[in-house]
Amino acid sequence: MGRFWSLLFLLVPVLGVGAFVFAAADVWPIHGHWLPDNINDHGGVIDSLFMFILYLTGVIFIATGIALFWFLWRYDAAKHAEPAKFTHGSHTLEVVWSILPAAILLFIAIYQMNAWADAKIRRPIESSGPDGVAGTADDVPQRPLALVTGRQFEWQIHYSGPDKEFNSEDDTVRDDVFIVNELHVPVHEEVVLQIESQDVLHSFFLPNMRIKQDVVPGMKQFVWFRANREGTFDIVCAELCGWGHYKMKGRLTVESREKFDRWLAQQYDEQQRRSFVAGTGE
Amino acid sequence: MNMTTFSSGTRRLSLLASVLCVAALLTGCESPDARFRGNMVAIRANFGDKYRTQDQHVKDIADVLAAMFGTPDEPHVPKLPDLNTAEVLDIDKLRMAAGPVGSDEFDRPRGLYRQHCAHCHGISGDGAGPTAAFLNPYPRDYRLGKFKFKSTPIGYKPTHDDLKKILIDGIPGTAMPSFALLDNDEIDALVHYVKYLSIRGEVERDLIRYAATLDLEAEPPERIVNVAYAKEKPSDFAEQLEEVQRSAARLVTQWQNARSNVMEVAPPSRDMNDPQARVAAIRHGRELFYGAVANCFSCHGDTALGDGKVSYDDWVKDPGWIDGSTNQPIAAQIPEFLALGALEPQVLRPRNLRLGMYRGGRRPIDMYWRIRNGIEGTPMPAAAFKPEGAPEDMKGLTHDDIWDVVEYLRSLPYESISLPAPQELENLRERS
Repeated sequence: MGRFWSLLFLLVPVLGVGAFVFAAADVWPIHGHWLPDNINDHGGVIDSLFMFILYLTGVIFIATGIALFWFLWRYDAAKHAEPAKFTHGSHTLEVVWSILPAAILLFIAIYQMNAWADAKIRRPIESSGPDGVAGTADDVPQRPLALVTGRQFEWQIHYSGPDKEFNSEDDTVRDDVFIVNELHVPVHEEVVLQIESQDVLHSFFLPNMRIKQDVVPGMKQFVWFRANREGTFDIVCAELCGWGHYKMKGRLTVESREKFDRWLAQQYDEQQRRSFVAGTGE
Repeated sequence: MNMTTFSSGTRRLSLLASVLCVAALLTGCESPDARFRGNMVAIRANFGDKYRTQDQHVKDIADVLAAMFGTPDEPHVPKLPDLNTAEVLDIDKLRMAAGPVGSDEFDRPRGLYRQHCAHCHGISGDGAGPTAAFLNPYPRDYRLGKFKFKSTPIGYKPTHDDLKKILIDGIPGTAMPSFALLDNDEIDALVHYVKYLSIRGEVERDLIRYAATLDLEAEPPERIVNVAYAKEKPSDFAEQLEEVQRSAARLVTQWQNARSNVMEVAPPSRDMNDPQARVAAIRHGRELFYGAVANCFSCHGDTALGDGKVSYDDWVKDPGWIDGSTNQPIAAQIPEFLALGALEPQVLRPRNLRLGMYRGGRRPIDMYWRIRNGIEGTPMPAAAFKPEGAPEDMKGLTHDDIWDVVEYLRSLPYESISLPAPQELENLRERS
């Protein structure tokens, strides 16, 4: 019976590693479960952090799994008659297994700081301000292309239009465009989005951009990315926001600058529709 | 001895446990069968205090409706001679929307209504699903056959495209979300199903009104239709069957005609893209807003904040529990109606026009329709329209007057008092 248990517990590291290897190699039965394609120029650093931590925990996971198996196998009561010996522990061992993880955690904390700053603090700038030096306090941050407002259970998109201002008071430049669940962005350009919530906590998640930002009612948040591939991708809500959370999804379309401008102009024209003739449809 | 009893006891206990487990697996956690709920509120409203003794009518109405429209799992399109019902109610589309959530053997979706709509709008389309009571405004009750946001005037059904637009855009400011990402035929299926529930609900109301003219106490009792018996001898119920068919045919025709009742709209004479023309339009629109003819401010308030008269909409008024003299629901009747499935009466506030939140759509054409046609089921009236060539002294808004009011309303959210106070960037950190 003893050999059975040790072999059973050996399955834990075997299946655990197998799941990752099969998923990463995109092989049946867990194909299509690895990370979605990264289409963000700034997304690679998130992926390398993920892989680094995965390898680190992977090595420790495999080592722990094999050690557990070896102890079960070696000291199986049916085969191993020698009585158990008790010890008061090993000071050296305890120091090693406390300091080693602490050092690793500290290393990760420092190693990721730049990635965090790039993703959350160093918003792209429109100009470097009066002093002409980028990275100083007087930089003019890039204004958002659109305001994305989470609402149970949809994403409302409010484009600021060519004047880059929301709700501009000047009537001649009232060019804002309002859409639901359809976010179009130009490819190969820095895009800044302002994220807000109308009701409860949501989380604005662009899996292909490696961007996830909690949306807190009453707070203004900004996310930015530079897409490097055209196509349509998912926008999902990554924070349980109510019973309809699972259906709170939108569509992200990345397209060329010309197509994007044409699309935005079309949306604007439709929003300005001032006549209706039956038979033309809506 | 003790040992044996103990172990056989344990064995019996574990046997019992496994039997219970298997039983639980077999019965599963399926919800009870979906059923259409009778419109008890309308029964109470039509029969008054006598409604408790109308069980026969309630049963007969349910039987007639089941024969005509089927069940939530197996919808039927009523057979109406001389009418192309498929245009309004396409059975394939209805099957896609009806039934439990899942997909058929060709992997096409099924049960879309229950997946996306029923929790608010209810299995019967009564606007009283499980989540309805928590919402303000309440979800639409389709059974009155009235819809607010449409291109047709009050009294006419909305077009297929009107309902589709609501599904695609959602209704900002309410709990109705956008379903823009559903496939086009899924949205079509849901629109057909909404029409189906609406027609079924209106036929039910017609039947209830008709039943109120019959006397169950008479000898023999006057029944609507004894469905079991009518199949064998339809001639005995010819009059009643005709009544039912007429009601359904009238409704299907109304929905069919919606398209030809659309209000066509010509563009304004002013070029609104010209800043000066727009400023003139806004100024004139403002005069009209506060003028005696349009009289918008009497409900929408002196500052257009929607703080004028509150009232109730037709869906809340439907049970007939509003006292004409006080214009308030009769308190004593509320618990009784609530027990029959009505929702707590909810007051209707005129729209705050400074929010830039337009429930029926933010395009100028949508706002034109709201003003020109009014909003069905609410106190928002159609504008007194002054056609071209009308006598000079006729009171009313001309086509261009309405466009000017639209332009004024569109400018309101951009006035400085409408805009939120500038907000500090709370998560932006200063770096030196």
